[in-house]
Amino acid sequence: MKRFASVLAAALAAFGMAGSASADTFKIGLIADYTGVFSTWGPQFQHAIEAFQMTHGKSVKGPKGETIDVQFVTRDSASQGPDKAKQLAEELILREKVNMLAGFDLSPHAMAMADLSKQAKVPVVIMNAATASITRMSPYFVRTSMTIPQYVQPIGKWLVDNGVKTAYVLVSDYAPGYDAEEYFIKSFTAAGGKIVDKARSPINNVDFSSYVEKVLQDKPDALYMFMPAGTPSINLVKAWSERGLKAAGIKLVGTGETQQIFLKNFTDDVQGVITSMHYTESNKRPENIAFKAALKKVGPNEEPDIASVGAWDGMQLIYMALAQLGAKAPGIEYINAMKGKKIESPRGPIMIDPETRDIIENVYIRKVEKVNGELTNVDVLTVPMVKDPWKEDHPLTN
Amino acid sequence: MGELLVRPRLLWHALPWVIAVAFYFFAGGYLSLGTQVMIWILFTLSLDLVLGYAGIVTLGHAAFFGFGAYAAGIFCVRVTGDPLLGMVVATLLTGVVGFLTGILILHTTGVTFLMLSLAILSMLAEFANKANSLTGGDNGLQGMELSPLFGQFEFNMFGYTAYVYTLVVLFLWFLVSWRVVHSPFGRSLDGIRQSPRRMRAIGTPVWWRLVAIYTLSAAMAGSAGVLSAYAARFVGLSVLSLFTSGIVAVMLILGGVRRIYGAFIGAAVYYLVQDYTAKLNPYLWEFVIGGLLIVVVLFLEGGLMSLIDLMARPFRRSTKA
Amino acid sequence: MAYALTILLDGVSFGMVLFVISVGLTVTMGMMRVVNLAHGSFAMAGGYIAAMMTQKGIDFHVAVVAGMLGAGVLGGICEFVFYRPLYRKGDLAQVLLTVGLVFISIASVTAIFGAFPYPLVMPKYMLELVDIGFRTYPAYRLFVLAVGGVAAAILWYVIEYSLIGAKVRAAVDNPRMARGVGMNVNLLFSLSFIVGCALAGLGGAIGAGMLSLEPAYALKYIVLFLVVVIVGGEGSFKGSFVAAMALGLIDTMGRYFIPDVAPYMLYVAVFFLLLWRPKGLLPPKSVA
Repeated sequence: MKRFASVLAAALAAFGMAGSASADTFKIGLIADYTGVFSTWGPQFQHAIEAFQMTHGKSVKGPKGETIDVQFVTRDSASQGPDKAKQLAEELILREKVNMLAGFDLSPHAMAMADLSKQAKVPVVIMNAATASITRMSPYFVRTSMTIPQYVQPIGKWLVDNGVKTAYVLVSDYAPGYDAEEYFIKSFTAAGGKIVDKARSPINNVDFSSYVEKVLQDKPDALYMFMPAGTPSINLVKAWSERGLKAAGIKLVGTGETQQIFLKNFTDDVQGVITSMHYTESNKRPENIAFKAALKKVGPNEEPDIASVGAWDGMQLIYMALAQLGAKAPGIEYINAMKGKKIESPRGPIMIDPETRDIIENVYIRKVEKVNGELTNVDVLTVPMVKDPWKEDHPLTN
Repeated sequence: MGELLVRPRLLWHALPWVIAVAFYFFAGGYLSLGTQVMIWILFTLSLDLVLGYAGIVTLGHAAFFGFGAYAAGIFCVRVTGDPLLGMVVATLLTGVVGFLTGILILHTTGVTFLMLSLAILSMLAEFANKANSLTGGDNGLQGMELSPLFGQFEFNMFGYTAYVYTLVVLFLWFLVSWRVVHSPFGRSLDGIRQSPRRMRAIGTPVWWRLVAIYTLSAAMAGSAGVLSAYAARFVGLSVLSLFTSGIVAVMLILGGVRRIYGAFIGAAVYYLVQDYTAKLNPYLWEFVIGGLLIVVVLFLEGGLMSLIDLMARPFRRSTKA
Repeated sequence: MAYALTILLDGVSFGMVLFVISVGLTVTMGMMRVVNLAHGSFAMAGGYIAAMMTQKGIDFHVAVVAGMLGAGVLGGICEFVFYRPLYRKGDLAQVLLTVGLVFISIASVTAIFGAFPYPLVMPKYMLELVDIGFRTYPAYRLFVLAVGGVAAAILWYVIEYSLIGAKVRAAVDNPRMARGVGMNVNLLFSLSFIVGCALAGLGGAIGAGMLSLEPAYALKYIVLFLVVVIVGGEGSFKGSFVAAMALGLIDTMGRYFIPDVAPYMLYVAVFFLLLWRPKGLLPPKSVA
């Protein structure tokens, strides 16, 4: 309730400030899941945006010195899928007359914006969705988050270099899972590793005892996993230690399962889990320290994660584009303004690829360790400025 | 003044349609909201036929809504974008599915039937999820390009064509429902709901009547699904969710069962309340809807229509009793 | 062979959780004839109360008992306020009111505990692997088996051999007759409902390692509980035990052998089972 009141108040205050003749308004429609099974994503966007506006103000100075009030109109897609997201987007464009759409925690939501963005000529900033092909679906799309092939690929070689010769692959039965499976297998086998077996668990599955049993029987050097963030990912990591895989010496390798927001669900047994991800929350960059401090001002228990950093960086780019173009430029110009921009993100340096409008960023390989009595991800390798490999593998044939 | 309110019953009947037509001209950016409300009205009306009149307590009606939506969507993507042909084909197909499932499960009652209807819905939903290449899975059905209606009127994000198309389809089904409910067949359903045993005793083919209404209702729900697919030019898995099935039941009881217009009021009120409260605070609407449900069940047996009856009572002439 | 025993243990321990939670529902539906779709909310409440206490450092076993009692109290309040008026209303009204309760419970849990999965802190010994001869097996699951078994045994004894058990059975078979011979059926209803909710809370607390705690719990798992009750036969204790075990085993075996099809399998199995036996596998011999 409080968060909404504050956004609402911010919007009203912004209106109040717009008394002078030289103030413009730039409305951004934010679509994310605030309720339902995916309800952890919406608040991440929300808090990061609030934190950003608390730090950098709710307005930007345009190219002619005019004040541009940046207002958000938020809609909850309520975990009801892309059809709801599409409906909300149409409403935002027709009723609220937004100048830009942002957010999109899940890939289907972002994909549903493709036709709309082209018809209405509205730029779309994708702050979390990770399916690689998305940015190809509309020239109005720009992504500030990550793609799955991008952060999965580097781990293959690292594992082989570090003595892991065989792996069992267990992913969830949905598109992101297939992406992870494909790119892990590609990179692992290219480096000389051998895949012992692979399996896919149903997307809602929360009981991994049977899957883990099979892995125990096959005795690979490592188990590679990719599960939806939340109960499935937590339960698989737990099953690894609780059902004896850790004791049997099988390493657990994944991506986002040990993000800081989830670490409190585990006991010390989670130490040793290896992941590759584009954001290690514990990093000591000044941008990250500032980001975390700003988040703490919004809520003292606020923890940063991939969606919050995706939104934070999205805001940076939006403010940069507004400063360059003002509030009244045609939609496509904002996307063009973001192309090729390089910024220092809390996660490290990032750049928007001018050809694909997708993100280029560092990928970090980390281990979970106990530092100062707290479980945390510790970087063991940084792979710099990784481009999305899917786009390289699937070049556009014009 | 009292006279004017009672005599031209036709005036009251015409009211919702007048509002619907007027809305088209005055809605502005809210037009698509109106289309959504009408789609849900049609869906709720279909549920009223089976649940309200025939007494078949089902939680799986979204199976037909969803089947209709996907049938129309897939037909558009794979066969032709003709919106009229698509509507007819999808509606008929859904009716067939309704018929087949009906003959399988309508001999059971109560919770057993409830579970079976849920099982059918779940199986359909799982299938839609798995059959990626056909339905798009959880990404939704991509690439629906509807041909313009009569070669002239485009289906696009502005929603003018969708609104009128939905309004006409709703009106046609409304006429059908009205006829059915006020026919001897409809009366027999009333009897079946109250006591199947007695109806059998007087020779009514109960089971066949149930199958008949179930099939009709399925086709109707399927039409609603088609409209949903056309309005959004997209189909997602939510059309086959338990949630959708639940919401339509909520709308029905909110408005009032066995009142035909109950479906209108229930769907409109629910949709508008949910839309409004969700904007205020996404967490609030679950409380509001939950509370509303409890209040309606405990205190307003006839739903909101009964409230309207209460208000209209002072204007009724004594002949109406 | 070790594999088969593992599947057995896994399936039965899952079945135990289902049984403990669902037994209350079978009484509610069989005796009071109320379709209580909010039953999952009581299990969820028990789980969350226990979890909250373990997070504050309170001993796990105490927390579980607290969860059970908390769910029971909540059950008592709800019975008085919401369920009493429902006894005479039809199926539809019951379905909808209880759905309203589910909505409210989900919204409340989100407001109080947040949307993330809520961890229940287990004691150290439960996270260890116990050597049971042919392999090591998680102590937690053995714990669930033990608690479930004890609960089932106590219930069975009470139902079959005590006076109150006989009264409950009578009220399930024929409430009108039971009233006719002077039993205070309303009191019986209330007590059974409260005990049923308390058991659900117990199941929710001990089962938190399998059915994890999150706001959507009340909606996600209610179908499972309903299946146990209906397949077993409403009002039948033996039936719900058998159905819970069967469901646990089928679900587990499905995951082991045909993981791709597992979710489908459940619905297909239920579908054909109900068509074959609409009254459930072991329905109580009702005279009503």
